[in-house]
Amino acid sequence: MIAVGLIGLLLGVVIASMALDIPLPEEWAAYLSLAALAGLDTAFGGWRASLEGRFHPDVFVSGFIVNALLAALLAYLGDRIGVDLFLAAVVTLGGRMFLNLSLIRRYYLNQFALRRQRG
Amino acid sequence: MKDNKLYQILVFFIIWLVVGLLLGLAFKEQTRIRTAELPSARLPELARAYVQEKRSNAALEEEIRQLRQKINELENAFASGTKQAQVLSQSLQEAKMIAGLLDVEGPGIELILQDSKRKPSGESPELLPELYTIHDYDLLRVVNELRQAGAEAISINGQRIVATTGIRCTGPVVFINDVKMASPFTILAIGDPKTLKGALEMPGGALADLKSVDPKMVQLRVLDKVRIPAYGGSTQFRYVQPAPPQEVKQ
Repeated sequence: MIAVGLIGLLLGVVIASMALDIPLPEEWAAYLSLAALAGLDTAFGGWRASLEGRFHPDVFVSGFIVNALLAALLAYLGDRIGVDLFLAAVVTLGGRMFLNLSLIRRYYLNQFALRRQRG
Repeated sequence: MKDNKLYQILVFFIIWLVVGLLLGLAFKEQTRIRTAELPSARLPELARAYVQEKRSNAALEEEIRQLRQKINELENAFASGTKQAQVLSQSLQEAKMIAGLLDVEGPGIELILQDSKRKPSGESPELLPELYTIHDYDLLRVVNELRQAGAEAISINGQRIVATTGIRCTGPVVFINDVKMASPFTILAIGDPKTLKGALEMPGGALADLKSVDPKMVQLRVLDKVRIPAYGGSTQFRYVQPAPPQEVKQ
């Protein structure tokens, strides 16, 4: 499953950098980056959930959309009222990514240890 | 159940794909912004444009030179005519000398100003880089001082200083007569050499500050014969025109 995800990621990056040529206004750049960050967070969350056997497509998709929108909204709001609110999104998403990655890492380490015990 | 699994994998794939798209776009956007900010990314393009401009500039200068020569020939032909014409021609030559449109020579001085080669030392670092380079105001002070001391013709790096000459820093270069130049600046002046030298070396005068920073920034020589070129730029007037004589109210 995760191999499929990684292939998708790679394909996305390649398509974006090769084929897609959308001229975006410069002000959007920050929102785009935030949306990408939120997406990455959701993707890691989905990876972890699939490892734990708790993967629900609806949760996954809605989480992706809502997180990306919320992050962009926070950034926009922060822009308007002069507070760097997007930092909240960055810290939260970044923190969660580290958490998810550490759980993923532990899962694979455990599996590795189990296999060694058996073998 | 198997269908469900396939569905899950599909969703997983699509979301990762979208994340990849977003990441790729964000990455590209940031790169674009960064390259748009840094003109160095367009250096080859700029270099080509620069060379082209320089070439067409040289061609135009050559054209100016040829036209000037033609004018001189015509004037000479004119002057070889009547007595009246000779007088007219003489006063024309004088007017051109005043305007700086003739090559001239005479006794004078040569002053070379250049950026200091010494590295600013750490004593008061925030001030120093400014002090160690030659600026437009240094040149302006020198020119002003020379004029005050009776200099009859002045040039900087071959550019004749005339009534319409501007001297101004733009970034790291100085524009004189719309020609850009950088250190070292060779300033030639025709006039009484002693007076010119004295005026420049006056305590607290135009060169005092530079000399106190680094004496090597200033080289002053008295010359028996200085040759100063004519003004080479455009002499077209776009706005000014002779005004009719004004009635004097008694």
